[in-house]
Amino acid sequence: MRRGLILASLLLFVATGFTVLRQSRSLKPVGNTPSLTGQVEYCLTCHADLPVISQSHPVETFGCVLCHGGEPMALTADLAHSTLRGGGNPSDLAVVEASCGGEKCHNGTPQVNRDHIQRVATSLQATYAGAIAQVRYAFGAQPDLTARMGVYAIDGLSAFDPTAESSPAIQSFGMNCLYCHLTAQPMVGDEYSRWSGCSACHSPAPREDGTQVHQLTTSMAYTQCDTCHNRGNYSLLDIQFHPREDAPTDRLHDYYQPIAEFTRCEWTLDCIDCHTRQEAMGDGHIYNNKKEIQYIRCRTCHGTIESLPLTYTIGDENDLAMRLAFLNPKVDLKVGDTILMTDKGELLWNIRMLPGVEGTTPTYELFSKATGQRLTFIPVMGSTCQQQPDQQDARYCHECHATQR
Amino acid sequence: MHVIAMNAMPRKGDILSRRNFLNLLGKGSLAGSALISMGVLVRYLSFQSETSSSTQYDLGLETNYPLGSRITVQSVPATIIHDSQGYHAISLICPHLGCAVKAIGDGFACPCHGSRFLPDGSLRNGPASKSLTILRVETNAEGHLILFTTK
Repeated sequence: MRRGLILASLLLFVATGFTVLRQSRSLKPVGNTPSLTGQVEYCLTCHADLPVISQSHPVETFGCVLCHGGEPMALTADLAHSTLRGGGNPSDLAVVEASCGGEKCHNGTPQVNRDHIQRVATSLQATYAGAIAQVRYAFGAQPDLTARMGVYAIDGLSAFDPTAESSPAIQSFGMNCLYCHLTAQPMVGDEYSRWSGCSACHSPAPREDGTQVHQLTTSMAYTQCDTCHNRGNYSLLDIQFHPREDAPTDRLHDYYQPIAEFTRCEWTLDCIDCHTRQEAMGDGHIYNNKKEIQYIRCRTCHGTIESLPLTYTIGDENDLAMRLAFLNPKVDLKVGDTILMTDKGELLWNIRMLPGVEGTTPTYELFSKATGQRLTFIPVMGSTCQQQPDQQDARYCHECHATQR
Repeated sequence: MHVIAMNAMPRKGDILSRRNFLNLLGKGSLAGSALISMGVLVRYLSFQSETSSSTQYDLGLETNYPLGSRITVQSVPATIIHDSQGYHAISLICPHLGCAVKAIGDGFACPCHGSRFLPDGSLRNGPASKSLTILRVETNAEGHLILFTTK
């Protein structure tokens, strides 16, 4: 009896000592109380080395949980990550409203230009409605090219279900060709690697070796777009994706797959230098095909033989152009600057008219949104170019200006 | 020095018999466990969770804030202004989403989303829709400036 008591005392001493020792060696919680939530979270205990995701999303203000979800007080990875939104990608369209949404953030606001989530969710890049309509039309499943289905149901589009299609070709399309919309997982390979949702464009792609960068950007290089675009072709003959077979070693050949000729500005600049927010992210309406939403033409910047490009003079510091230039500071815009504007009124804040003599042909300067490179150019009007105003397809410009590849 | 053989009978003069040794070991273990447990209990009871931000700050002697000065106190954060009207302070928390604004040449600028404010804290451009908050500053009996972040 006495021996038992002594043994129990010893065991108790060893157990308490071991517990305290183990506890003293465990992680020291690092708390952060973001000003937007006022709720302490301990994510930085393990993630203090992560760079701030962007200047607009400092961790002191947003914290981690507001965007990523997860258990803020947990100190073990399994528990902390048990309720993460979208795994490591809270911008996945399945969870994006809870992560990036909200009236103060990226949706639910009365300002049309800031309703990003609704716009993206109805865009062709997300629904793939244009491609689905074309394939279904080509194989007789619908009478015209009107978009009726998306990869998910939204705003009058029903959900495309390949198994419900009678055409084997459309079934194959569903099996082999749905890798590029924003909710799809990409094909295997670094050249295809990207996130889903907003991060497909706004975050650097994860590499196959597992490395990834914690970053949001509005300064996307063409290589980001090329994880989906210019990787090859979908063939209607065998309903398969055929990767490009060239091995480009320079920018001219890397930008596009070898199917056509392009003018210098088409391969010197980055995609986002010309293509606008509405073209890439949609404008909240359903379109039948890419041509309907992709409306930028050579004349948008160069004008025609009869007219100069449309311009917009920045009236005050609340102008959208000023905000966009702040978020991607490549050009020092000022109130009073004259910038270019598209037919739909979108502001090309990275293209500014240079001051000149009234009555003379203006010169414009473009700052690449991706690299900051400055280029100057002149309009068609007043030049030796004789392009007719009704010949605005790029092929007409290519007749004189294409670069030999 | 005495060496105790564990199985040997205690002899007169031995300081520590086997029985005494085991008693001592048992009691020592119990005492040690109790001490450790007490330590853990004290640590548990004295644990301070993440405290909510203070609403009152002692800014030090008012003489440190001469007439005409604009001094930023990062721990609040706020800019303390001493002008002919007396002492007052401008909160440096952006009313848009709560980022800390920076004092620049002609007022304040939010590094997160680009809102700017005039030197008196009033809104110059959005996306913020309100001006910076003006905070109350009082002088206490010891001549210290006390800043209140609540009204």
